[in-house]
Amino acid sequence: MLELKAASRHFGGVRAVDGLDFRVAEGEIVGLIGPNGSGKSTAVNLVAGLFPLTSGSITFKGENLESLPMHKRLQLGIARTFQNIRLFSQLSVWQNLWVAQNSPEDRARRGFFARWLGGQKGVRREIAELLEFSGLAAKQDELAANLAFGEQRRLELARALATRPKLLLLDEPAAGMNSEEIGQLRSRILQLRSRGITIVLVEHVMELVMGVTDRIAVLNFGQKIAEGTPAQVQADPLVRKAYLGGA
Amino acid sequence: MDFYYGMAQLIGVHTLLGLSAYIVLLTGQVSMAQAAFFAIGAYTAGMLTVLAGWHIVPALGASSILGAASACAVGFPALRVKGLMLVIATLAFGEGVRLFFFNFDYQIAKGNIKVGPLGGEGFRQIRFFPENGWTTFDVMLFIWVFALLAMAVLWWFDRSRYGAVLRAVGEDELAAQSVGVNLTAVKVSAMTVGGAIAGVGGGLYAHYTTHIEHSSFNVLVATFAIAYPIVGGLSNVFGTLAAVIFVQAFLVEGLRDLGDWRNLLFGALIVLAMNLRPHGLFGRRHA
Amino acid sequence: MLDFLQVVVDGLLFGATYALIGIGFTLVFGVMHKINMSYAAASIGGAYLGLLVLKVMAGAPAWLVFLCGFLGGGALGYVVYLACFHFIPYSSPLATLMSTVGMLLLIDEIIVHATEGRPLNYPAMFDDVMLRAGEFSLRGDLLLVFGVSVACMAGLLILLYRTKLGLATRAVSQQPTAAQLCGIRIARVNAVTFVITGLLGGIAGALIGASVGTLSPLLTLPLTVKGLIVTVIGGLGNVPGAIIAGLLVGAFENVFQLWRGVTERDLYVMLLLFVFLVFRPGGLFSKS
Repeated sequence: MLELKAASRHFGGVRAVDGLDFRVAEGEIVGLIGPNGSGKSTAVNLVAGLFPLTSGSITFKGENLESLPMHKRLQLGIARTFQNIRLFSQLSVWQNLWVAQNSPEDRARRGFFARWLGGQKGVRREIAELLEFSGLAAKQDELAANLAFGEQRRLELARALATRPKLLLLDEPAAGMNSEEIGQLRSRILQLRSRGITIVLVEHVMELVMGVTDRIAVLNFGQKIAEGTPAQVQADPLVRKAYLGGA
Repeated sequence: MDFYYGMAQLIGVHTLLGLSAYIVLLTGQVSMAQAAFFAIGAYTAGMLTVLAGWHIVPALGASSILGAASACAVGFPALRVKGLMLVIATLAFGEGVRLFFFNFDYQIAKGNIKVGPLGGEGFRQIRFFPENGWTTFDVMLFIWVFALLAMAVLWWFDRSRYGAVLRAVGEDELAAQSVGVNLTAVKVSAMTVGGAIAGVGGGLYAHYTTHIEHSSFNVLVATFAIAYPIVGGLSNVFGTLAAVIFVQAFLVEGLRDLGDWRNLLFGALIVLAMNLRPHGLFGRRHA
Repeated sequence: MLDFLQVVVDGLLFGATYALIGIGFTLVFGVMHKINMSYAAASIGGAYLGLLVLKVMAGAPAWLVFLCGFLGGGALGYVVYLACFHFIPYSSPLATLMSTVGMLLLIDEIIVHATEGRPLNYPAMFDDVMLRAGEFSLRGDLLLVFGVSVACMAGLLILLYRTKLGLATRAVSQQPTAAQLCGIRIARVNAVTFVITGLLGGIAGALIGASVGTLSPLLTLPLTVKGLIVTVIGGLGNVPGAIIAGLLVGAFENVFQLWRGVTERDLYVMLLLFVFLVFRPGGLFSKS
């Protein structure tokens, strides 16, 4: 579904991503791990369209993503969450989800006028479902700025889901979570897969990555150094070296 | 009573000016160009009623359309310019428009006098209202129909998805883009709506004062335009209305005995207000 | 052709004052990431303060007036800092912007009231001197304007790049939080930045008054717009850029005036700005 071929992104002299080959098949949950600065977030940003490739290519469902702006990539079905949460803090939880309903399916269902200037009635059910899934139904009218940290993370995910993605890029969604929350996140991710969403999970929290992914790619210095099932990756000496350094 | 009607007319027209800046400010764009769209609306409506004999209503329609069109034209290049640079660019645009009208002559003969804009002298004798028997009260009501209409439309926007999207863009463009919002469409549309509102306001202004000139649309007016929504707060349209009333009624008129000191106090008031209530009179939403 | 070059040279010399104003705007932007819209007005205000010397000492020499303009500008700079930047929270950029606009209006009106709206004569130096360089005549007073401006710019560059204060200022502009963690007192750096730009503005205002011959509150708004144009063309935050851009704007302005006359001149300066905004929004020296 997603394919990066020799993808490179240089920032001046820094090779954040360097000749990366990475593939994700439809329906998979793929993990992307590596020490700090290995290029994981840059890879996500490249797929999302935050900045262009220096060289190489990225294709999604056969279509070359080069020069497609972010909002157009969303129309294709690519959504992402942010490592440091970027909610619309001055809007309510409900409004945060409402703003995100920009998918082709949503556009087809309601006319232009109704979608932009119509009231909330038409979309109440869908948003209610999203709120239910994320456990935020009770807080729907709360300002995003007033939510607890865990709730904010759930809203960040819910908002990405509101765009009806086919590919979901999760950028360190478990940062700062306790074991219980990680467990809930794991179960949510699995539910999303069963709904047909392909997921790329960038993470540091091994408890989550090892427990939920089908396959993991390991990056270091912008390049892929290992790939395989969680068990294979855990046993790989190169991976160990990358994380712990030395022999 | 005429004095109060006149005051209400002024407040109505300035509310339209303030609202034109309000919608643009929601998207995070600080535009000092609203006075320019106001000017375009003023000259357009004036020329249509005086030189072409139009009725005021279609003339206002035309000034709204021209205001919207020029705002749309400014909206696109404005996208390339971020934050404070936009302030400078729109300030310069506003000055450019003012200078344009300073140099603009278009007079025709009516009977044995010439009417029409005359460069630095301005555009006098915009007398549609007196010539058609409108009283001060009539004019006041007429102005307020439009002011209330604009408020109602913006209030409706605020409660709709468009309003939420405008504010999302104003808060975090990157996040908005990543959930599929087309920034260009949103920002330019806000500018365009602002231009339409300013155009109507300008057309009404030209007719109730009957005399306009380039200096009626200078940096001070551009400042009033953004001051109202900033001082009033961006939570809702009533903040802007409150700020207009506060500035014009209390400050400018209430301190009328201080004569020429009004502008000075306006400046001092803004400095004070921004230090005491940086988020505006009505403050932020809830939190 | 000769006329044209003469006009360009005159414009370049006068443009040094625009360079100073541009530096003021750009330096505050670089350090605080905010625009001080009242800067040009405060500069003219400083020049007016210089005139107070004449009230006290009737026959005071021109250089003393300039010096007081210089110092007056610095004092005003500190006042603007307190009124608009010290207390307003960093997270309210709109409020800061609005307060500097309020300050611009306030200073303008104070000048109008203090002078009862009448323009005042400003003393000049070397205005009767005319140097000849080949085919060109160089006005003595413009040469002085240029010379003093250059000296001030050199002083500023030395300050910024060779002193500890300058280092602190640059540190704050790049990473305010890290600078604080290194023990740099941000409020002090900010206040000093305002005083220094105020001094520059004051002397610029005095020099403008000297070369034009009169000071009037009508100067403030066009100077604000021109100063901002210089800042944009030179690149926001780029001090050497502002210097070059100031000279260029001075030259272009004179050329436009030669070509289309005084009333349309400013319109073309505005167009120059738009050309830059469309093609080089980062300024002359941007990497776009």
